[in-house]
Amino acid sequence: MGALAAVTDSAVPYTRMDVCKRSLETVRHSRMLGLEVLSAEEEGVRLRLPWREDLVGNPDTGVLHGGAVFALMDHAGGMANSCRLYPAVEITPTIDLRIDHLHAPTPGKAVICDATCYRLSAHVTFVRMTAWEEGDEQGEPVATGQATYTRMKLDRSGRVAS
Amino acid sequence: MSDTLKALVQACRAGEADYQDLIDRVPYARFLGIQVLAQGEELTFILPRNENNLGNPTLPALHGGAVAGFMEQAAIIFILLQMGEPRVPKTIDFTIDYLRAGLYQDTFAECRVTRLGRRIANVHISAWQKNREEPITIARAHFLLSDENA
Repeated sequence: MGALAAVTDSAVPYTRMDVCKRSLETVRHSRMLGLEVLSAEEEGVRLRLPWREDLVGNPDTGVLHGGAVFALMDHAGGMANSCRLYPAVEITPTIDLRIDHLHAPTPGKAVICDATCYRLSAHVTFVRMTAWEEGDEQGEPVATGQATYTRMKLDRSGRVAS
Repeated sequence: MSDTLKALVQACRAGEADYQDLIDRVPYARFLGIQVLAQGEELTFILPRNENNLGNPTLPALHGGAVAGFMEQAAIIFILLQMGEPRVPKTIDFTIDYLRAGLYQDTFAECRVTRLGRRIANVHISAWQKNREEPITIARAHFLLSDENA
């Protein structure tokens, strides 16, 4: 990996962070949720979902809706795929995703999500996600996720190849 | 606060309030734009075509997260209407299978409670666009109904 990978990487005119930021720019719903990419490395990505009043699921408690956290995880997983595939560019639609809500995130606190593609097979990627309250990234997760995505290779014009 | 929810659920059951009022009290449901159609006692949930829910811009296709959130909220309302003491169910887990791309169209969902226990509910949710025999996604979820002694 070492030296050769470094040389190859530096020849690519875009970084993993560029790929993730571009993904966020084009995906309108993720922009509407206020998602933000905090880091993008070969090992995975870290994203942030703000707490916002319009994303609340239980008006009596102010807790974020599970759907907002789900969308955060789904997009984080897609970006984890991109980071693993880098510098190749593919689109990776979700096959399935399971989210476990371990405990409710505190109202008013943003949610941070890490996603890692831990296995890249010929046609499928396998991804794990973990989410915490912002400021408690070393503590107990609020949610975990597990997903598979299918790989769709793009040709030079950016169209799905097969 | 939960007294107002209980009163609203009872009014909906009695046909004195609109099911939509139950949805509209949830900020995230309004964010997605969820609607409900009641035909007798049957509820169909609707996620109207809305560009704010788009994911893939080139197809264009709905964001998988928006469809998932729509289905989860549909299940929550569905269970709420069946509870003796209505309290907002807490999602324990939610598992979704994506079968077809969600196109930039209206999306519909229906729920089936597989088991409604005292503490846990198991719900199946199916979403479609063209017709219900060709779902775009199916999901299965567990909800915690009561956290007393939990």
